[in-house]
Amino acid sequence: MDLALLLELSINGAFVGMMYSLVAAGIVLIYKTSGIANLAQGALAMMGAYFAWAATALVGLPAWAAIPLSLVAMFAVGALIERFALRQMIGQPIIMAIMLTMGMEIVLRGLLPGVFGTAVKKIDIGIPNAPLFVGDLLLNRTLLIGGAVSFALVLAAIFFFNSRLGIVMRAVSDDQTASWSVGVRVERAIAIAWGLSAVMATTAGILWGATQGVDWSLSLLLIKALAIAILGGLDSIPGVLIAGVVVGLVESLATGIIDPLIGGGTRDVAASVIILATLLIRPHGLFGREHIERV
Amino acid sequence: MFYRRAGISHTSYRQERQLWPLPFDRRLALFVLALTILAPLLVDRLYLVGYLMPWVIWSTATLGLNFLMGGAGQIHLGYGAIIAIGAYSSVHLVRAGTPFEIAIVAGGLASALIGSIFGAAALRVKGLYLAMATLAMQSIVDFVITQVPAISGGGQASLPVPTATFFGIAIVGDLRSYYFALAVCLIVTFFMLNVRRASFGRALAAVREKDYAASILGVNTFRFKLVAFWVSSFIGGVVGAVLAFCYYRAVSPDQFHLDLSIQIVAMAIVGGVGSVLGSFFGAALILFAPILLNQAVGQAAEMFGLAISADLRAHLPLMLYGGMIVGFLLWEPLGLAKIYDNVRNYFLVWPFRHARH
Amino acid sequence: MTIKRRTFLAGAGAAAIGSQLHVSFAAAQEKVVRFAMPQDFTRVYTFATTEYNQGQRDYASLVNAKGGVNGYQIVLDVSDHGNDQPRAIEAYERAKTQGAVLIDPLSTPVARALVPRVTADKVNLITAFSGRSDAADGTAFPYVFPMSPNYWTQAGLLVDYFRQQDGDLKGKKICLVHIDTPFGKEPIPVFEALGAKLGYSFQAFPYTPPGNDQSAIWPQVRRAKPDWVVFWGVAVGQTVALTEALRNGIPINRVSSSVWLSESDMDIVGRAAMKGLIKVEPCASGTSPKIIQDIIKTVIAPGKGAGDKAKVGTSYYNYGVMMAALMIEGVRKAFEKAPNGPITGEWLNAGLTSISNFDADGFMPATTITPQDHQGGGKCRIARWDGEKFAPVTDWFTANQDVVWAEIKKSADEYKKTAK
Repeated sequence: MDLALLLELSINGAFVGMMYSLVAAGIVLIYKTSGIANLAQGALAMMGAYFAWAATALVGLPAWAAIPLSLVAMFAVGALIERFALRQMIGQPIIMAIMLTMGMEIVLRGLLPGVFGTAVKKIDIGIPNAPLFVGDLLLNRTLLIGGAVSFALVLAAIFFFNSRLGIVMRAVSDDQTASWSVGVRVERAIAIAWGLSAVMATTAGILWGATQGVDWSLSLLLIKALAIAILGGLDSIPGVLIAGVVVGLVESLATGIIDPLIGGGTRDVAASVIILATLLIRPHGLFGREHIERV
Repeated sequence: MFYRRAGISHTSYRQERQLWPLPFDRRLALFVLALTILAPLLVDRLYLVGYLMPWVIWSTATLGLNFLMGGAGQIHLGYGAIIAIGAYSSVHLVRAGTPFEIAIVAGGLASALIGSIFGAAALRVKGLYLAMATLAMQSIVDFVITQVPAISGGGQASLPVPTATFFGIAIVGDLRSYYFALAVCLIVTFFMLNVRRASFGRALAAVREKDYAASILGVNTFRFKLVAFWVSSFIGGVVGAVLAFCYYRAVSPDQFHLDLSIQIVAMAIVGGVGSVLGSFFGAALILFAPILLNQAVGQAAEMFGLAISADLRAHLPLMLYGGMIVGFLLWEPLGLAKIYDNVRNYFLVWPFRHARH
Repeated sequence: MTIKRRTFLAGAGAAAIGSQLHVSFAAAQEKVVRFAMPQDFTRVYTFATTEYNQGQRDYASLVNAKGGVNGYQIVLDVSDHGNDQPRAIEAYERAKTQGAVLIDPLSTPVARALVPRVTADKVNLITAFSGRSDAADGTAFPYVFPMSPNYWTQAGLLVDYFRQQDGDLKGKKICLVHIDTPFGKEPIPVFEALGAKLGYSFQAFPYTPPGNDQSAIWPQVRRAKPDWVVFWGVAVGQTVALTEALRNGIPINRVSSSVWLSESDMDIVGRAAMKGLIKVEPCASGTSPKIIQDIIKTVIAPGKGAGDKAKVGTSYYNYGVMMAALMIEGVRKAFEKAPNGPITGEWLNAGLTSISNFDADGFMPATTITPQDHQGGGKCRIARWDGEKFAPVTDWFTANQDVVWAEIKKSADEYKKTAK
């Protein structure tokens, strides 16, 4: 096996993994504050990408203005979803709230292609596609930039949890009722978490959309992101980053090493096996907090 | 009004333990049963093949999953894979010359075996982590089916299903297929209705509510969870055989992808987790809402000349469908079965709304 | 809140009942030939369906505007099956009840699921660029009509084009990057058989569906140093493949794909960067062919078009026109054979299998469909992207049909054996 190829695959894999972990970080953010796995996270990424496309192509804004604008708009969308849908579900079985996010996913998947058209859209964020060789290694500019942005955002999320608002959120995630009783505005904290996670989804949607084009299939990012969030431990932001890199590496190397041997795409299966094996050893994910049960 | 009930009037344990203590419920159940049996005489062939048949089959699948989700509180995102194992094993067995009566049971057993192997591995984890573990199962089974031509049926990956003969009766044509699927559905329904009243069901309920507490009470939680996986997978496998022999008549891997798993989970949840009746409601809503909404929007567009783009027109039903799921859950977070229950409770004491029931 | 709930329920109920009303009266009209077009507008095939369907409807409008066929109007029942098989089966049963004689689902899984039903019910199933490739064998699949070059033919044509370019493929290397589904794996046997014959080496690289991340595949392709690259996928997989090919510095004029490439894919990757890209063209693209001009004059100009004007003349729109033209030519032939009908699946089947040398005024290769050959001759041309449009670089031609038909026969015989 060619060492340079392995190195190249590893670098690419790690950066792809970071781009996945950006979507996963949004899922963790919501899970941490409200205990719900948001199944509409992929659809939010799609929506954000559509917004960014609409701002550039329909309104005619340059990319540097369109992207912040869509981030702000998506923050509002996230917060509104929490306010008008999820808040009604407080006190109801968690699984129903999760199902509600799935219904939301279906609505968004109908709404955006319906309004803007199904044809695949292009967003240009100014990253050239021309090959970039370092010696014999080829570096993928979009992945490098996308991975770096994702890394920075996930790091920012980690630091955010040490800020004042972050501490509020940690309190909410620890015990909603207790936070309430000491004067924390629990609903507001959860709404902000939804807004922030929509912002993360938008960033991811734009980064992925720049490579594959914008259409409904961006919402498929959900499955991979969910896998990474669970592998990392649903309530750990650093875990997401590490799990993302692990999954990215495994997938990339499996494609390089196992695929030629058996002649089939083993990417997803290899990732599944790794996740299954990890969960057997660490039932709460790599960095998830163990849930202490009392009768 | 319909129920004519005043106070609790059970005079024996036997009476109290009845499945339907109220005569009206009993008659309603019999009436619905008669309707489903007479359906081929009452409705057009289109409704038999296009609606009743998938409804019966998908409801059976939802019941099987609900046994695990509602009965034992374990979520399963790989139920499509379980159904696939049952479908493929039974089809291959019949093609190899095994009688259908054995093949359908063997299909169930194959699903049960593989399902509970994954279940055993997955049972170390709980909640969403379990969802992930079963999701991994789905992708592993998908991969094996697609990659092994001997299973998927060669390069075209479409395996024709031979005609099955069940105790001398060939299952050909819509009528016999429907009755066979209905019979399987009824057996599963009766099992589901009764299992809750047996010690097994009660142990499962304890595990569902709090497995930790159940094990303190002396219930072997691991064993019961595993048996729940076994039973649920067995039902899934039998459904797979029914799906292949009565409905699809040609199996291909894409019939059993993650989409199917999510669809069935959605049916169980929207209908009401753990509810037998809800399984039927949920299956009907998730299966038919997209079809009916599409037709309704299409007709509205024709009649009123909707001046909207083709893309919007095509996606409007999808939006409405998602909106309907959201709407139903916001309105009644415990699912469709609970809505029925609310209506029933209303009439139970009608017109004395303030009365206790 | 109570009223809201009641309205909500009542609305849902009314929608459910209302949608069932039209079954009865729709069938009452006379002098129509009914085609069912349940297609996937919302799920996997969204990238093509809107344009494909628009082309079909516009062509049908053109025919109807000119008085229909033999005084009969062509009615297209368009609906959405979302690539979901129970929905597609419902749509099929509904179409059959309403008297449709032909169904075009434009989806491989749905087409595969419908094969046993249409064979039993004698309804013609169109599987253009989808479905089973071995359905080209009319003796095994009497009611399934690809009516377009299947994927084996497309692979054979590409290899022949490479041979024309290089003179000789001995010692060359062809790489296939394909989606890891039955559809993606389909062309492999043809590439292998031709490799044994022509002496090139062949290597396949599968990627996991849907193919939004192929960053681990293309470095391997680059290292394999192929002379020609073929990529085989749909939708997102296609644009990502092109982007990755660019990023890995693979010369684009050595990169090729099947019929599933359109102008909008070029927009995503960048029109200028894609110069030289090779695709297989089953019919002319652009608005210059006479048949498209007719549509523009008669249907689009009076504002009766089925969709966005800008889409007229795109690749997938033209595929739709091509397929509608073939179907309606089948109707014409059927009326020639039996002018008084009755209009049934069998009646149309006789018409479809007697289409001969039909080329829609040079819009597509001369197509002949016989009861044995449902593919229609397997003619295509190769086109290259010139920065603005796909410009043909060959005439209509066919090649390697011996290898293709060996594959078709092998697979169809297996089907015949197992379908019993």
